[in-house]
Amino acid sequence: MRPKMIELEGIEKTYTSGSIQTPVLKGISFRIEAGEFIAIMGASGTGKSTLMNILGCLDKPTAGHYRLDGTDMVRLEDDALSRLRNCKIGFVFQQFHLLDRASALRNVMLPLIYTDPYPEDADARAEKTLTAVGLSDRMTYKPSQLSGGQQQRVAIARALVTDPVVILADEPTGNLDIRSGLEVLAIFQRLHRDGRTIIVVTHDRAVAEHANRIIVLKDGMVAEDQPLAHPRDADAEARVLAGKETSK
Amino acid sequence: MRLLRIAKEGARALAASKLRTFFMMAGTIVGIAALTVIMAVGKGTEKKVMKRVNAFGTRAIMVTAGGGKGFSPPQEGITTLRLEDAEAVRTQIGGVDVVGSFAVKRGMSIKAGVNQVQITVMAVAPEWHDAWEWYAADGEPITAEDNITMARVCLLGTLSASDLFGSQNPIGEDIQIGNARFRVKGILELRGTSPTGEEFDRRIVIPLTTGMRRVFNQDYITNIRVKVRDSRQIESIAEEIRQFLHERHHITPPKEDDFAIFSAADIAKIARGISGTLTYLLGALAGLSLLVGGIVLMNILLISVGERIKEIGLRRALGATRRDVFMQFLTESLTVTISGMVLGSVLGWVVSIILARVTQFPVVISWEPFALALGFAMIVGVFFGVQPARRAARLKPVEALR
Repeated sequence: MRPKMIELEGIEKTYTSGSIQTPVLKGISFRIEAGEFIAIMGASGTGKSTLMNILGCLDKPTAGHYRLDGTDMVRLEDDALSRLRNCKIGFVFQQFHLLDRASALRNVMLPLIYTDPYPEDADARAEKTLTAVGLSDRMTYKPSQLSGGQQQRVAIARALVTDPVVILADEPTGNLDIRSGLEVLAIFQRLHRDGRTIIVVTHDRAVAEHANRIIVLKDGMVAEDQPLAHPRDADAEARVLAGKETSK
Repeated sequence: MRLLRIAKEGARALAASKLRTFFMMAGTIVGIAALTVIMAVGKGTEKKVMKRVNAFGTRAIMVTAGGGKGFSPPQEGITTLRLEDAEAVRTQIGGVDVVGSFAVKRGMSIKAGVNQVQITVMAVAPEWHDAWEWYAADGEPITAEDNITMARVCLLGTLSASDLFGSQNPIGEDIQIGNARFRVKGILELRGTSPTGEEFDRRIVIPLTTGMRRVFNQDYITNIRVKVRDSRQIESIAEEIRQFLHERHHITPPKEDDFAIFSAADIAKIARGISGTLTYLLGALAGLSLLVGGIVLMNILLISVGERIKEIGLRRALGATRRDVFMQFLTESLTVTISGMVLGSVLGWVVSIILARVTQFPVVISWEPFALALGFAMIVGVFFGVQPARRAARLKPVEALR
């Protein structure tokens, strides 16, 4: 059997502050196959961010195992985790997290700085991914010269440039208006159709319903794990929204 | 190369906030500029000192008749310095190599054919040549025999020779000193200017006995020139001679000395003049600027780390290791200090050149201050950059991204 892209086994995370122990994740297990588009849902305080950090190899669990593309990250040293994040994970953040002083193109190339060996075609790769998110005419723009939706698309291009095994998006539409949010979700759906593995973490069911499977967290545990037979179509929603606006 | 790519990231961050970068640099610029000026002035002064000391003689001590604080030519009419003193110094002071006594008379009227000039005449013991390391370039030196026979022979300085004889070879010719005829037996080596600004080469040298009995008509000498064996002992031997002559001349305070002693060490002190003070002041300025500049640099970098927590977190998320982050901030610090050093060196050179033009201060521009400045810049950059860089590297990506 082909190994799963992501395997979580009894993940626990407990924060210790002095003598007070706060368990946040209380034994989370699930598997994600390559090519899935997953939404992880939960209200704030359910351990959603903590799980996101562990999935992104930014933090280690207190107990349990997490295998990403065959590697158990729990045993890895900090440097190896950095390498793992660099090669295998593409991050998309709610706050975009772009470098203000750098052009869109340089922002997209940022992860490649930390890739060894440095790809000779770094520029071409960055241009290609920017074109893929529809920003071929904005490459030299600074983030401040771009709309929120465009900034998030730059961030998606940055996530794609290393050709990671999974895209990890934390509330990617949280700072966007409805229309820009739909644009971003449409890009994710297109990437999914192209075979990418995508995990979106959100508190918003309307966003989650664009995925093909929804995992709901509650009180540090998996409360629900359901495939979605008919996810919403972000492109279609955008067209309806555009239609409404023109009829006004 | 990964390190180069990371260094470039640091440089870009600096270029993005130019004013802040300038403030980070300011201390280094001033410090290195001061350092460059110190070195330029220092080297210039040493060159001047060496020139003076070499002209005086590196192993030389001069006892001059007459008191006086400054280093000056002998006072005429002081009769207390005697040949016996010179002989006693030679036999009783340790570490003395050669003692050459002489008597000087200024502005003597000299005639050669139709030419007549006023020239300083020195009547010298035969050891005088060794004591001064000043020999005949042409012809013969003053010998012991000349002194025994009170020979009427002389050596001319090169300028005296040209004053009296033009381009004609004076050796074997006669000159008249006062009323006495002298045969020119040689030409002295070229010597240049004395530490007191006299032309060494416009002189005439005759035997000491001849001078004392036949020309000056005196039983005292004006100078004892002592050459010591080891230049490192020069100050202690000079002091020993001073005490020795105090005893011989029965001088006890408050009675003033009837002689003055100057050694090569004193000449060096005089030649250094205020440049020593200037060096201390500028040295303090350089040290202080580099220290304060370094602290400012460190604090701005620390603030910068604080402001760029999100950026650091992002870089860590995208694959930067702790070392990558550390190196980025360290290269930022080093870029600041090394750029500051380059600007400071240029500023220092400009100031040195202006100083040389305006104050006649001796200044030597060389590569050494540049190398030293580079060393200092790197030390300051690393020393004050490590702390912020460590703080940046220690940030946990999860907390930094929050």
